[in-house]
Amino acid sequence: MRPLTLARLFLRCGVLAAILFVVVVIALKLGAVQVSLYGLGKDLINVLLHRANSLSTDYGMIVLDIRLPRILLGIVVGASLSVAGASFQALLRNPLADPYVLGVSSGAALGAIVALIVESHLNLTPDVAGLITPIGAFIGAALTIAVVYFLGLRDGEIDSTTLLLGGIITVSFLSAIIMFLMTTLSGSNLRGTAFWLMGDLSTPQPRSLLYFLCLGFIVAASAIYTTASDLNLLLAGEKEAMHLGVDVPRVRIVVYLSASVLTGLAVSVSGAIGYVGLLVPHVMRLIFGSDHRMLLPASALGGAIAIVIADTLARTVTAPTDLPVGAMTAAAGAPLFLYLLRRRIA
Amino acid sequence: MQPVSSQSARHAGILAVAFLLLFVIPLSAQSLTPHELSPAPMHEVVDDFGRTVRVPPVPSRIVSLAPSLTETLYALGVQDRLVGDTDFCDYPPDAQKKTKVGGAINPNLEEIAALRPDLVLVTKEINRLDTVRALETLGIPAYATDARNVDDILSTTQKLADLLGVPETGKSLAAELRSRLNALQTSLQAIPPTRVLFIVWTEPLISVGRDTFIADAIRKADAVSIVDSAQDWPQMSLEEVVRLQPEYLVFAASHSDSASRDFDTLANRPGWRILDAVRNRRFAVISDAVNRPAPRIVSAIEDLAHQLHPSAFPQAPAPEKPAGPATPKQVLPATASPARIAGNLLTSAQENSCAR
Amino acid sequence: MSTAARHPLPGDAARASSDVRLSVEQVSYAYAPNPSQAPLFTLEALSFQARPGELVAILGPNASGKSTLLKLISGSLEPLSGRIFLNGFATHSLPVKTRAQRIALVQQESRLLFPARAWEFVMQGRHPYGGGLRFESDQDIAIVNNALAQVGASQLVDRWMDKISGGEKQRIILARALAQQPLLLLLDEPTLHLDIGAQVDLLESLRRLAMQNRYTVVVVTHELNLAGEYADQVVLLQRGKCLRVGPPATVLQREILEQVFQAPLTVEMTASGRPRVTLFSNK
Repeated sequence: MRPLTLARLFLRCGVLAAILFVVVVIALKLGAVQVSLYGLGKDLINVLLHRANSLSTDYGMIVLDIRLPRILLGIVVGASLSVAGASFQALLRNPLADPYVLGVSSGAALGAIVALIVESHLNLTPDVAGLITPIGAFIGAALTIAVVYFLGLRDGEIDSTTLLLGGIITVSFLSAIIMFLMTTLSGSNLRGTAFWLMGDLSTPQPRSLLYFLCLGFIVAASAIYTTASDLNLLLAGEKEAMHLGVDVPRVRIVVYLSASVLTGLAVSVSGAIGYVGLLVPHVMRLIFGSDHRMLLPASALGGAIAIVIADTLARTVTAPTDLPVGAMTAAAGAPLFLYLLRRRIA
Repeated sequence: MQPVSSQSARHAGILAVAFLLLFVIPLSAQSLTPHELSPAPMHEVVDDFGRTVRVPPVPSRIVSLAPSLTETLYALGVQDRLVGDTDFCDYPPDAQKKTKVGGAINPNLEEIAALRPDLVLVTKEINRLDTVRALETLGIPAYATDARNVDDILSTTQKLADLLGVPETGKSLAAELRSRLNALQTSLQAIPPTRVLFIVWTEPLISVGRDTFIADAIRKADAVSIVDSAQDWPQMSLEEVVRLQPEYLVFAASHSDSASRDFDTLANRPGWRILDAVRNRRFAVISDAVNRPAPRIVSAIEDLAHQLHPSAFPQAPAPEKPAGPATPKQVLPATASPARIAGNLLTSAQENSCAR
Repeated sequence: MSTAARHPLPGDAARASSDVRLSVEQVSYAYAPNPSQAPLFTLEALSFQARPGELVAILGPNASGKSTLLKLISGSLEPLSGRIFLNGFATHSLPVKTRAQRIALVQQESRLLFPARAWEFVMQGRHPYGGGLRFESDQDIAIVNNALAQVGASQLVDRWMDKISGGEKQRIILARALAQQPLLLLLDEPTLHLDIGAQVDLLESLRRLAMQNRYTVVVVTHELNLAGEYADQVVLLQRGKCLRVGPPATVLQREILEQVFQAPLTVEMTASGRPRVTLFSNK
């Protein structure tokens, strides 16, 4: 018997964080513009020493103002999607659940688009306007997961197959509505929406939104993490968890809302990036086991690593033209998804 | 029963905070990156987004994020100051040799920043506001143009000339274009407009809406688009087209077509044969310059007018007028033979629809 | 965890020694898919009481209401009328966590979504004693080890749950219930998938644990003879009706069993005063 201890948890998270750090440094180096590792190191040390003025000017802007914010955005988005995925998998007792498969991402996308349309009719300051999209995305995500949950119910219990079918149907229905909105409304606000829908990190976000995003992630991920032990028991089914002292309705509402917040935030800044929320928790489960006290932080870090790698590939494979990062994750994720499906993990 | 829970609750708290700090620490690092590109005195202009932009008096390193802007810069003779453009900037051919910064919708910010431009030009039509905002946060001035009709194209040309410090060149170019348009109008005054269908894309059938500059260009050639849609790129049902029975089909084709498919292929498609214009082989092929809100569009308008109303121009074939004083040799042959439309209808339409 | 180990005697000694722990008072229940329709299933009012250390068997053919009664006792269903008290508290209105500290339920099978090791599974029984996020204390570990030892499964501690036999699995599930340190241990047909040897083992363990740990044990079962051999009290149900409650010798009688199970049978008494039922074929 080797129960999880805090020391072991910190050690493992530390290893993942170190990997993330290395990946981030590599991602900072790679890109359309060549940056030497030496110059990069010098700049990073200067930044850490708060000597921003002595940056090597040429690349300071590219690395710190373009690449770093994009990488940080990727970290938050990847962590959000993975934590949301791991939570949905536990709560719905379905290893194939993730924000994308369940249609929650599509719901968030629709919510974001509707928010954009509403926003264009209101005269708002840019800062306020920037927050409307994530809020719309959250509402879209929360409504969608509620609908998909009820579609997945069968005799009062969640049924895996019904749930997945419900998700697929929801995705296609929402996509139809999104198509409709995009063809009937051609305001300049919607330009690039198609690109964004594929999952895209290339658009730099205003700093205020980035802070809002981090704050949302911290609150929602913490809320989910407080239920980590409950989620372990929920894997055995809601009734059984209830008999073991889990306040199932409370856990359900906390996790649904938080996971919807995470999905909504991620989608509002990066579009629907698929498969990260599905596969990262699986890989982490293979490595660290299915204990959510370990799995949730591991998924957050793993998701960050996965997105940063995927986005770095998206930036470099066809440079200078960017690929949408969603295309990258789908290309890598879809075969892995099929493999897991065939192994009958479902 | 056991004093376990308070301790583990505290652990939980510490743990949650520690795990989340991982994400906050790197974020705070980015808040210390001040940049001031050039200390030179700036002057303020208002662009077509209504934004106030601070630009240097004579911008010397320009990045263009739209093919039409690239063409306009060449027409104004300031191509030497153009340091980067998009993958789709293919006219004049020299523009292809400039450093590419990606597509118009998703340009690579790194490449743009690496070129250290003192002005980035965008259009409201094909670029994203997000891109403009991003450039703003990087301290790179971005000036947006918006040409919704042919008159706008002329005034935009003038505005750009002023912005780039060549107002005289702009004035003479605009005057020359306007006199050509006036001459055209005089010749066509007595002739009723031809009803045409402008085809952007064939599968699915996409045409242009009434509020686009292309529709305006068609009107300037004494024709009228049968499509009366508020959408810019309406998808048409073939049934509707059959009902409206255009007198002419108008295609825009790139001059570098390699013929792989000709008009007959299109004409033999089921459905299309019902159109009188197809049965009678009444179609006009003009330069894809019509797809770009740049000075060259006037040549395309003249070309279309000559093809639709040959009787109005006794001295046929169509005259080949230069697009502007700075690019006398780079005007493409205005008429393409029916056999040459051929091929690349689809490919050119694809290019046109995603990169104008 | 209290009390010195007692020599397992037939239940009378235990019953005399302490107060009533579980009290089922005139409890009834009706199940209808929606309130306007006539109920599909009704459990008619029934009562019985059990003391610490007692083992109660609920017997009856299929669809007689055994599992419904167990759910009512566990507090997950609310009685239509009547009350069920555990040490004076109505089980249905206990907070979820408190309920899990007092009542442990062993179901027919425990489904697992992702593989877990035996100790992880047993550790779930400690959940009611911590928050939503908790880390195992040394005490938890000791209790889990003890629970595994009590069901004779210490050697399985690091095995994967999906790689052990049905009987071993049943013991691990029982160990999890013991780790909850409950007052009331409920088992829903625990012998269903077990061979005869494992069945006897399990009931033997339950008998012993009830005595040692002063649990009140309620078992739903089909096995007349196991109930006859190990139970202190038997509740006999038929189509939602409680026919008889009492010691095995008074409930397991030929006429009533023949009527309930619609089969000819004989009942004989063993040397220890326990009834033994033998079924005949109809022809």
